[in-house]
Amino acid sequence: MRAWEKLSLQARLGLLYAVLLIFSVVLVGCYSYWNIWQLFINNKSSHLRAQAKPIIEHWLIDNDLAKLDNPHLKLNPQNAFILARDLTSRDTVAIVLNRKGDIIANGKRLPEEPEAPIPDKRYFRRALSGENEVTYRGQVNGKPVLVMLIPLRPQPASSRIFGVIQMSTLLTDIKEILFRHGAMLVSLVAIILILGIVTGFWLIGVSLKDLQGLLTSCDRISKGDFSQRVPVKNRRDEIGQLAISFNRMMEKLEATFASQQRFVANVAHELMTPLTGLRGSLEVLLRGAQDDPSAMARLSKGMYKEVNRLIRLCEQLLGLSQLESSSNVHKQPIILSEFFNEFKADVQMLAGGRSLTIQQGPYVKVSADPDLLKQILLNLLSNALRYSPTETPVVISWKLLPEQVEIRVSDQGQGMDAETLSHIFEPFYQGKATVVSGDKGIGLGLSLAKSMVEAHEGTIRIESEPGKGTTVSFTLPLE
Amino acid sequence: MGTDENNNKMTILVIEDDPVITEFLCTGLKYEGYEVTPKTAAKAGLDALQQATFDLIILDVMLPDIDGFEVCRHIRDRGSDIPILMLTVKKEISDRVKGLDSGADDYLTKPFCFDELLARIRALLRRSGKIRENKKLQAEAIVLDMETREVSRNGKRIDLTPTEFGLLELFMRHPHRVFTRETLLNRVLGYDYDGGTNIIDVHISHLRNKLGDRPPRLIRTIYAMGYAFYPEETGT
Ligand SMILES: Nc1ncnc2c1ncn2[C@@H]1O[C@H](COP(=O)(O)OP(=O)(O)O)[C@@H](O)[C@H]1O
Ligand SMILES: [Mg+2]
Repeated sequence: MRAWEKLSLQARLGLLYAVLLIFSVVLVGCYSYWNIWQLFINNKSSHLRAQAKPIIEHWLIDNDLAKLDNPHLKLNPQNAFILARDLTSRDTVAIVLNRKGDIIANGKRLPEEPEAPIPDKRYFRRALSGENEVTYRGQVNGKPVLVMLIPLRPQPASSRIFGVIQMSTLLTDIKEILFRHGAMLVSLVAIILILGIVTGFWLIGVSLKDLQGLLTSCDRISKGDFSQRVPVKNRRDEIGQLAISFNRMMEKLEATFASQQRFVANVAHELMTPLTGLRGSLEVLLRGAQDDPSAMARLSKGMYKEVNRLIRLCEQLLGLSQLESSSNVHKQPIILSEFFNEFKADVQMLAGGRSLTIQQGPYVKVSADPDLLKQILLNLLSNALRYSPTETPVVISWKLLPEQVEIRVSDQGQGMDAETLSHIFEPFYQGKATVVSGDKGIGLGLSLAKSMVEAHEGTIRIESEPGKGTTVSFTLPLE
Repeated sequence: MGTDENNNKMTILVIEDDPVITEFLCTGLKYEGYEVTPKTAAKAGLDALQQATFDLIILDVMLPDIDGFEVCRHIRDRGSDIPILMLTVKKEISDRVKGLDSGADDYLTKPFCFDELLARIRALLRRSGKIRENKKLQAEAIVLDMETREVSRNGKRIDLTPTEFGLLELFMRHPHRVFTRETLLNRVLGYDYDGGTNIIDVHISHLRNKLGDRPPRLIRTIYAMGYAFYPEETGT
């Protein structure tokens, strides 16, 4: 078993295939050999029978033995010899036996005629008990013979058996034919085996070569080359299918990897701008601007802004990474109207003096993480406030849908064009909208909101018209 | 702040949308004696370029209205050969070739060192023939050779340590400017030197001795502030 497992797949398959092939071909060979042999024997015995039948019938009639009511059914050497003689030919010899099994007459006369084998008691008894045409194989002087025992009865189906004829015929010719046939069979089997095994190994090798290709690709991928694809030769077979799904998997992986890389690059890029401001301001201060109080004030205010920007970025990144694991989402039943009553107080500060309306909708209980829900709303609200003129209202409302509730945040600000809308949820994507009030965004707000909504199995969508305003709606599952 | 050695100041147009970066660029460059005009968008920058002449442009790649490379090409298409220094973020480094292709003369990757920025600006101005870098600084019969780093007063050689040389150079480059001890410390010993400022007093007194600087001094102690360099002809 150990050695078997140590073999390569190709060797194992090849060996298994060869053994199966040898086994089946040899089986077929033996069967056909045996079959032909049987055919010959049957042929020979029916030939004997056909030869003997009319002779015996004539003989019965000629000797007045065919009558059922004849009380003296008896063999005498004379008539028995005539019968034996008639039944004997160049390759067949007949002897006649009485009921006791004694040889009464032997048909062999000429030297070229074959010898009769010594009767076999077992078969003789079967013939005597009424079995027609007992056939068996025997040997005379080392030569194979076919022996047939025919019971003698006055008429067919009569139970009065008064003797048995033993006819025997040489099988040497059949043997010879069979030998030639066998030799041919063996060479054929050998040729088939050689061809079969060679093509088998070749076929296995070819199929496994595709697997080998898969293996080399995997190797390269593990070294970091995600652009690797496996060539697909035959799309129907299993290896082809494997290659296809492998390639599909790689496409997904490569895309994920690329987006991950893009994300990291974007983060670095987003970090660089505030860091540039910080470093530059610090250097300018240290080189001497610190001696000028007004420059000092301006630069430190700028640095304070940049630091806040960095903190905001980190917070949002943390938020995104937290959502990767569902264990960070703590859902609980929330009554929306109560939630918003509390939320309004928190958010009034963010709105500054602006008109922020919360339109109470129907009584609903949702299943959500209150902190996340607050963050979603804060992100959407800060966008609405940031990108709409101070005198326009911002409205939060909700309505009941089958099995879920839809919460909407709408403003009457700048809106967005289709191009912006199509990218809006990409991390770090920022549209052309100008900031009306508050800080400049980072471009993570909406992608973060989307992730948070999706963590609740909800959906988020945006309707917007340039110049008219924007409505962001998201759904939450009901309790 | 104090005036600089040459009265015809170099003018720089800064086109950058980030307010904090613009702020430190303006403050820092003004301190170094440049005249700076900040613009936060490409269009405004191009307009300013038509109304006045500048000696150099500092141009951010990521601008809200027009891409920085595009702006660069615009300026070149107008036939101007004004030196342009581009500011990029690492992500765009593969765009470097594009930047130089579009006609920029040099580029700097954010976040950059202010000293490096100054060096690049000086190099660009020199290359375009706008300034001739003085190999020797002279005042009060003191000669400072920037190349050989040799100092002499009235033809007599004076041996200075690198720190003393740095202090003297700073004073001579910015006569009349009052430097606090902190600033002097930062400029000659580096931003990350974390000893006390007393060391500056020690260096200054060595420098005065070596120069034979007696009251009324060239290098004056300004009470509660720091030190300043007053060449004789403009004395108190
Ligand atoms: N209510 C809105 N009105 C107009 N534009 C919006 C609105 N909300 C978002 N946007 C656009 O979508 C972009 C991406 O939004 P977001 O992901 O929140 O990033 P950020 O607000 O930090 O820039 C914004 O830069 C802005 O151009
Ligand atoms: Mg936002």
